[in-house]
Amino acid sequence: MAAGSAISPTQLLGHLPSFITFASSIQWLSALASDTQTMKSSHFLTFCSLLLLTVSGSHGQQNPPSIEQLLNEPFLDDYYSNVVYGYEIVTDTQKNASRYVGNSLNCSSCHLQAGTQKEALPLNVAGMYPKWRAKNGKRNGIGLRIRECFLYSLDGIMPPEDAPEVLAIAAYVTHLSQGQVLGAEPEGRGVPTLPDTGYDPNPANGRSVYLEQCSSCHGIQGEGIGEMPAVWGSDSYNKGAGMNRIREAAGFIWANMPLGNGKSLSHQQALDVSAYLNLQYRPADPRGSKFFKLLEDLFN
Amino acid sequence: MIKQLLKEATPSFAWKNKLHSWRAEIFAGFVGAILVIPQGITYAYLAGLQPEYGLYCAIFVTLFSSILGTSSMMSGPNTAVAILIGIAVLPLAGRGSPVYIDFVFLLCMMVGLIQLLFWLLRGARIFQYLSPAAISGISAGAGFLIIMASLDSILDLSTFQTTFFYEKLYVIVSSAEELINPYSLVIGVATIMGGYIGRRYSPRYYIIIAVTAGYLCGLLVAFIWPQPVTELEYLGRMPLQWLPFKVPTVNMEYLMSSIKLIPYAITIAFIGLAQSLIIVRELKMETDQNINLNKEVYAQGVANFLAPFFSSFAGSGSFNRTKANQSLGASTPFSGIAAAGFVLILITVLGPILTYMPMAAMAGTLFLVGTDMIKWRDVKHYAQIRSELFIYIATFISIIFFGLATGIVVAVFLSVSVFLVRISELELKVEHTDSGPLLKIKGALFYASVAHLTEKFQSHFGEDLTVDLQYTTHIDQSAVDFFIRESKNMAANGSKLTLLTNKQQQLFLSKLGANSGINLVSL
Ligand code: HEC
Ligand code: HEC
Repeated sequence: MAAGSAISPTQLLGHLPSFITFASSIQWLSALASDTQTMKSSHFLTFCSLLLLTVSGSHGQQNPPSIEQLLNEPFLDDYYSNVVYGYEIVTDTQKNASRYVGNSLNCSSCHLQAGTQKEALPLNVAGMYPKWRAKNGKRNGIGLRIRECFLYSLDGIMPPEDAPEVLAIAAYVTHLSQGQVLGAEPEGRGVPTLPDTGYDPNPANGRSVYLEQCSSCHGIQGEGIGEMPAVWGSDSYNKGAGMNRIREAAGFIWANMPLGNGKSLSHQQALDVSAYLNLQYRPADPRGSKFFKLLEDLFN
Repeated sequence: MIKQLLKEATPSFAWKNKLHSWRAEIFAGFVGAILVIPQGITYAYLAGLQPEYGLYCAIFVTLFSSILGTSSMMSGPNTAVAILIGIAVLPLAGRGSPVYIDFVFLLCMMVGLIQLLFWLLRGARIFQYLSPAAISGISAGAGFLIIMASLDSILDLSTFQTTFFYEKLYVIVSSAEELINPYSLVIGVATIMGGYIGRRYSPRYYIIIAVTAGYLCGLLVAFIWPQPVTELEYLGRMPLQWLPFKVPTVNMEYLMSSIKLIPYAITIAFIGLAQSLIIVRELKMETDQNINLNKEVYAQGVANFLAPFFSSFAGSGSFNRTKANQSLGASTPFSGIAAAGFVLILITVLGPILTYMPMAAMAGTLFLVGTDMIKWRDVKHYAQIRSELFIYIATFISIIFFGLATGIVVAVFLSVSVFLVRISELELKVEHTDSGPLLKIKGALFYASVAHLTEKFQSHFGEDLTVDLQYTTHIDQSAVDFFIRESKNMAANGSKLTLLTNKQQQLFLSKLGANSGINLVSL
């Protein structure tokens, strides 16, 4: 595929001599400030060109390398190593981006199958985000969305916009988004919106559904058993998270839970159990007071 | 020879018996650990790496160089080395990305190997030629670069591109409103002010005072505004392991690209050793420590070579921490070993608190370190000798305009040239005696300085000339050839050349055949 070869290792190496001239060593420190932009813009450029390529419907081209292929590659250039790094962060956030994580979840706890599963908050959404905007770009890009998931869903700290972790996840999201049409909603984005059942969600019913269907994996106290993630308590997402909205969570649960047996609950059951989860104790919304959060953190 | 090398290569622990006051050593280690933590974190930033690499560097580079070394020098993360690592690797990969880290590790191993080569070639002497003015100039230039880098975090500018510092300053001033994050600025200023006020009361720990001021200010800001509003950068949790052992990735592709890293590896190896050896030499003069320079070179080389195996980047001796160490009464490498241990303990204990350390506070300390490195005192000191002042200023200017690596090359070049010019100068004195003019030569007579003699010989052409070589430190073949040639010339004109020499010179001159036409008088 053309876009892939545009940054192939051999070419990268070919560029090295020109990189390492004296001129390039001039003022590295200001480059410290600028590399974030070059880095970003180069990602966005690659990503845009990828999208354009697919949009323009160039036939007969190879697919981009899959993650498995990339994982087996002995040497990756900067872009693809970032894609792989992003993949590793999404699947094992605890290990690879622990700097910004405050609970025991991983991105893939909610973005199932490393963000590739439809109706389970898939991450192939790069095309939905505005392009880099020079002025207040930090408020518009996919970067912000990623950083917010760290802050709320992972109950951690918002990484800086130029953090290597954020850039790597952005590269991964870009990689997943290949083949999507720029600006059009990918199929199965987010979670399904449940139709109105006519009844209010009932947490008491939800509790019995939870004990019956969920507690075997997520624990009676919602603490998570073994590898299973916590659904409430100090190790779960906080009150500012998207998952803490009853309808959002209900859609996720209906489509995906119990894991491996999605869509087995009725819509009403999903809403009920979602309301039940919503009532449980979880970390405070960081938009409240950071000081309180700090105390909370120190006590954990 | 090999036996000697082997002896240098094994830790001697000779200081064990000299450990009079291990209490002082341990306390000095503790203070060293406190001092190195903010430095490790900020230098990691300069090197383009995540903070934990700086802390590992503070632990392992310090540990290895103290175990293998012979002095109370504190090694570990170092400004110039960190900046150079960043300069070298940034063109190859995005900052902090996996490939970037691999390249940094590769570079550091190369640095270690080159330093070991220096050790094998007994290169420690080379560093005597780097003039103190050049070192101060490099340090001042690095200080300037550090200040510029610290502005990024203090003002929270991460989204614009500049090549030159004046352009950067212009952009900052002209679009201050859009670019500058006021919360970050407040914290940075609080840190810097804390530092300046703290220095009045405790010059040694003022950085700690500054960090604390910045941290508290950060808490205050966070107490009022949440992070999504302030957009502040925090240090975050550091995934520290007690033994982060990992074999760095080395493969064909990396090695091929690493050829481009060689000039930087040499520069870093050189500048790291230069700093370390200056420190060690000072210690040797000022204390009664049993210091072996070659062993120190070896210790630095091994520490830097092993650094990547322990998730660290290369380092070197640190002026400020060694000073603190010395003033606390440490006199053996044990304080360094203790410091490494304390960093590990402190980080484990402080971890949760450091999580909410605003990067602006860290950058504030960088700013303080940077301003400390540009010393007006230095300028005044060197102003007395023109050549020194010239080296200082030329080094400084080339660093701020062309970058650190270029600046170092300029500094080395200038030091060596000034050195060469100086030693090729001769002090010539002509006295008139009954037997014709007597020429006294002070200095070294070699190919570069012989030319100065020609004039004198020409102005006394036709007279019987006596040359007094007693104060001449060195005579080489070209000088002898010169005398033979001149004596033949003079003989053709009927005049005679007499050389007053000592015994050794007499032997040397006769050996080269200068005894035939010349009148050699041994005194
Ligand atoms: C607790 C569950 C949870 C976790 C863990 C989580 N997210 Fe999310 N994420 C969500 C939800 C819910 C949404 C969509 C709702 C919203 O907009 O808030 C979302 C949306 C996103 C989106 C935008 C998707 C779209 O359709 O536009 C991205 C990108 C994203 N998350 C990245 C991440 C990354 C990266 C991580 C790991 C660092 C992560 N998320 C962890 C729940 C989670
Ligand atoms: C077979 C075990 C299993 C069962 C049963 C199960 N889950 Fe999960 N659930 C998981 C796993 C595993 C994940 C994380 C996804 C992953 O790692 O692939 C998860 C993720 C979640 C998440 C998002 C992550 C988090 O921790 O917040 C929610 C919410 C959730 N489950 C709710 C439920 C509810 C409600 C039920 C009952 C209807 C349920 N689950 C039943 C295994 C299970």
